[in-house]
Amino acid sequence: MTSIPRSDKLFFYALLPFAGIVLSIFILLLKILVENSLPIFIREGLGFITSNIWRPSETNSRIEYYGILSPIVGTFYTSLIALILALPASIALTVFVNEYVPHRFKILIVNLIEVMAGLPTVLYGLWGAFIFAPLLKDYVMVPLNNYFWFIPIFSCKPTTPSTMFTASVILAIMVTPFITSVIREAYEAIPLSYREAALGIGTTKYEYVKIMLTMIKPAILAAVLLGFGRVAGETIAVSMTIGNSFSLSMCLFEPGYTISSLIANQFGNAGFYHYMTYALYGAGFILLIIGLTLNSIGLYILVRWRKSLEET
Amino acid sequence: MKYIVDIKCLSVYIKGKKILECIDLKIPRNSIFTIMGPSGSGKSTLLRVINRLIDLIPYAKVEGKVYVFGMNIYNVDPYILRKQIGMVFQTPNPFPHLSIYDNVALGAKLNGVARNKDELDKIVEWALRKAMLWDEVKDRLREPPSKLSGGQRQRLCLARALAIKPKLLLLDEPTANIDPVNTRKIEETLTSLKNEMTIVMVTHSPHQAARISDYIAFLYMGKLIEWGPSSQILIRPRSKLTEKFLRGEI
Repeated sequence: MTSIPRSDKLFFYALLPFAGIVLSIFILLLKILVENSLPIFIREGLGFITSNIWRPSETNSRIEYYGILSPIVGTFYTSLIALILALPASIALTVFVNEYVPHRFKILIVNLIEVMAGLPTVLYGLWGAFIFAPLLKDYVMVPLNNYFWFIPIFSCKPTTPSTMFTASVILAIMVTPFITSVIREAYEAIPLSYREAALGIGTTKYEYVKIMLTMIKPAILAAVLLGFGRVAGETIAVSMTIGNSFSLSMCLFEPGYTISSLIANQFGNAGFYHYMTYALYGAGFILLIIGLTLNSIGLYILVRWRKSLEET
Repeated sequence: MKYIVDIKCLSVYIKGKKILECIDLKIPRNSIFTIMGPSGSGKSTLLRVINRLIDLIPYAKVEGKVYVFGMNIYNVDPYILRKQIGMVFQTPNPFPHLSIYDNVALGAKLNGVARNKDELDKIVEWALRKAMLWDEVKDRLREPPSKLSGGQRQRLCLARALAIKPKLLLLDEPTANIDPVNTRKIEETLTSLKNEMTIVMVTHSPHQAARISDYIAFLYMGKLIEWGPSSQILIRPRSKLTEKFLRGEI
């Protein structure tokens, strides 16, 4: 039996601490999050996630109360609207890039999409808050309210450019490159033999694309879940465009809050209050649960789909 | 029209490399026409020009003229052409997300071969019977193709190709990856079909060519060495290269 060379053993031991550090940081993060959020869960109980009261007090900590229903609802609401807008755009972009753009331009566009996916989100926030939001208010929100006021989500008059609608659109713009990346990779992973099979039965381009998209349906679902995880956790750009208000409204033209924008906005003041820091940790813990769940399910579906493709 | 495919000085380049060199070939109607040759001789490329699947290959350049059913293939929409041409590939490739039934029905449905459910059912049964698969799958038509063996999957692909009621059937080494029993079944199907359609098959096996062909073309390093009735090519080949191939020396 041959023994492992000494250099290989040394190499293994040299790598070990780095792997260990990453894992330890995650465990430490989880520990701190749980430890610091426990007091608020014990104090407010289920009310922390079911009530919409944010009542800090500098003088009397006994009357402090923290319930984050509005940010939780806001997180899901803006994420959902963002995904509804981003998904068709991502699918259309994938099909366009793969089926219509000549090969040499395709590489250029794909790289551009990757760059967009990696841009600092504060840039989207800046552009969104100063340029895009006022335009969106005047040319989209106001007309939507004027003509479709009877639909609950468009029923209120937009009074400010910073609304849940603005944040959702900015999130959609930000997440489209990411979702496109995941869907495009899956689309390109379809083996040539299936493409030939689909075209070989005399499909039109539309029918062919439909067959290809049906084949990658699980990957599209995974892209949506992973995208959901991303937008739910997005902080800066949302804080800059959502209006940061504890409102619980169906109407998209109201300002709102998301969990991450709540944390970003309130952490500067938290030290002045007895329980607010715990409340923010609690909000962070809930955000972590949402993100972990969505990402885990998304990754699981994606891995299972890739495996099924290899098996056939 | 005596010839269903008429190829005039066809050359194909992929990324600048010459794959086929000025091929002239006529494929007679209602015959089994076999293109044989060693690996890398350009057989599959030639087949993919006929139904324009070559368009899928990036940087492929096609020169010369190809007429199928009397039409210049570059003057018609490829999908109109492919609606009339079935194809079976080297590796069985039924759609994994569709059931056995839907794999066969898809082409018939999209091409308007069947107008209602009854017609579709009949076509699916006809195609599966022709591919000698009906008895093996009739009770599990809703199962995915992953439940079938490799040979059964290939016969399912043959049924899928037949369900569009093609005038021309292309087969790219359809038995290369399957066992002798399935190979025999596919060959029997092809022989029984030649009154209904023209069949063009690529193979690297002279024995298979001998078993089922009416005509044989021999391709070597991108060049058409010779073609003619199978008896002539197999018994009295004009070229030394063909002779060598038949003896298994190249």
